[in-house]
Amino acid sequence: MRKNSLKFHSHWFFLSPSVLLVSFFYFIPVVLVFTIAFTNMDQVFSWRFVGLVNFLRLFTLKDPLIPRIIKNTVIYIFSALPLTIIGALFISLLTMRINRTASLIFKAIFFFPRLMPPVVWGFLWMWSFEGTRYGVFNSILEGFGVSPIHWFIESPMLIVICANGFLGISLAMLIFTSAIASIPKDYTWAAEIDGASFWQTSRFIIIPLLKWPIMTMTAWHLMSFINSYVYIFLITGGGPYHATEVWALYGYNSAFKNYQYGYGSSIMVVLVIINLILLVVLLKAFGMRRMIERSRIEV
Amino acid sequence: MKKIFDKWIIYIILSLIAIPFLIMYIAFFAQAFSKGMSLGIIPQKLSFSNFSFLWSTIPWGLEKTRIWGIFLNTFLFASISGLAVTVVCTLTGYALSRIEFRGKAFFLSMQLILHAISGQILLIAIFFLLLYTKLLYKIPGVALARASLEIPLGVWMIKGFFDAVPWDIERSAMVDGCTRFQIWYKIFLPLIKPGIGAVFIWGFLFAWHDFIYVYTLLPGTVPLLSTLVQGLLATEVVDYGVIAAISLFYMLPPLFLFVFLQKALMKAPIMGGKGIA
Repeated sequence: MRKNSLKFHSHWFFLSPSVLLVSFFYFIPVVLVFTIAFTNMDQVFSWRFVGLVNFLRLFTLKDPLIPRIIKNTVIYIFSALPLTIIGALFISLLTMRINRTASLIFKAIFFFPRLMPPVVWGFLWMWSFEGTRYGVFNSILEGFGVSPIHWFIESPMLIVICANGFLGISLAMLIFTSAIASIPKDYTWAAEIDGASFWQTSRFIIIPLLKWPIMTMTAWHLMSFINSYVYIFLITGGGPYHATEVWALYGYNSAFKNYQYGYGSSIMVVLVIINLILLVVLLKAFGMRRMIERSRIEV
Repeated sequence: MKKIFDKWIIYIILSLIAIPFLIMYIAFFAQAFSKGMSLGIIPQKLSFSNFSFLWSTIPWGLEKTRIWGIFLNTFLFASISGLAVTVVCTLTGYALSRIEFRGKAFFLSMQLILHAISGQILLIAIFFLLLYTKLLYKIPGVALARASLEIPLGVWMIKGFFDAVPWDIERSAMVDGCTRFQIWYKIFLPLIKPGIGAVFIWGFLFAWHDFIYVYTLLPGTVPLLSTLVQGLLATEVVDYGVIAAISLFYMLPPLFLFVFLQKALMKAPIMGGKGIA
């Protein structure tokens, strides 16, 4: 009896700080964002409930920007995601084949973006692709007699996709290389003795064995790309003329740039709902149990 | 013969992907330490004039500001956030490693759940939450909000360290009459010092690097290093040399921490050793 009551107290004592912090900064905000979405909260923080006005504005296309933003978001997610997964697989398969020092150098180059603050990573891209002759790539081209190219006007989306995609690659590459390293060497050796080429070994031996990491990384980065807007905000700010404005960034800009907090919240609510649906699907597909390690012995 | 040829192709492909990044990194470092550049990446003259912000003022809006006050603010912000992450994670990690309770599955899958409803898309709500609790525009409140983002991964990290401690130590302490809290405090904390260090650095690093929380939730009159760099980029006349130098100054402390305590960090099972990273 005494043991039971002690146990009850003890685990709640240990868990309460994280429960408090997480519910205060995640679960209450979810409720709050749903509430604000039904108000007309503005810059002086005066508000009243306005019902579905914000959502009607979103879904009946009263906002002329919405179709464009949906198109941008779809292009962004479905280009950055394949770039991340295929790029990371490609790099980790290639670095596996070369000697240790060289592969470490290459991995360091591709991992460096993770160690950089977002602001600096954004600054590097902004500066490298600047349209004047002071941009890094333009000044290199100038040396070859090419006149400056206005990268951000010609293909802003491509720059944003690469900046985010290579950030994704740095994490996925790390996971994939460690997974490849844990595959027993016998498999690849056996395939090579049978005369399999590099492509065949990768396609029929390694990639099937990497099914699980590839699936988790795809799910993880799908959510990242749906939710993230920080790098786009830093590199282009959504411009030029909303060319790189994605759904999440549009929500942020509506709230903190145009001071339409109610409308911004309703945009974010759509994202929260999409994410929750995705989460349920993923948990069903992967199985909650598989992510969990039980304690070995019950004390 | 064919094998050697294959190797060369691999090197060439990898180099082609890596070269644009190398150019960017080199341009960044070279720009910080030189007066001007030719061909984008070749520094013309070695100079430390870009680093004059260390002892003189920086234009900030219509006024001027000094780097060291901003540095201290950033340090305060990152330390509070790191400490909060450490305290919360060491407590929770112990419970998840050693105690069976209902709802444990939920706690362990929190990483994925909180990644789905990430702090970034709840930022509007967090803004109003802090506004109504009078924590908005104050460094400690924003640091706590930032700390909540790192808890799921931090818990996985520290749980690995707790898992590695033998159960016999805990049992013998219990036989001697320790309570759970005493076990945690007197037995476990000294044993998992590297883990505590790793989690603190984890929390510190991400708070130090954070941009969007700081930019949105702290007023423009209290710049941290990240918002300072962004603010300088957003001005009319951009001096890339100075921005590169400040960025370098901004990046150094965490890199030092990281290199200095690398041994402890490398011991950390960073991804929790499970599928979900």
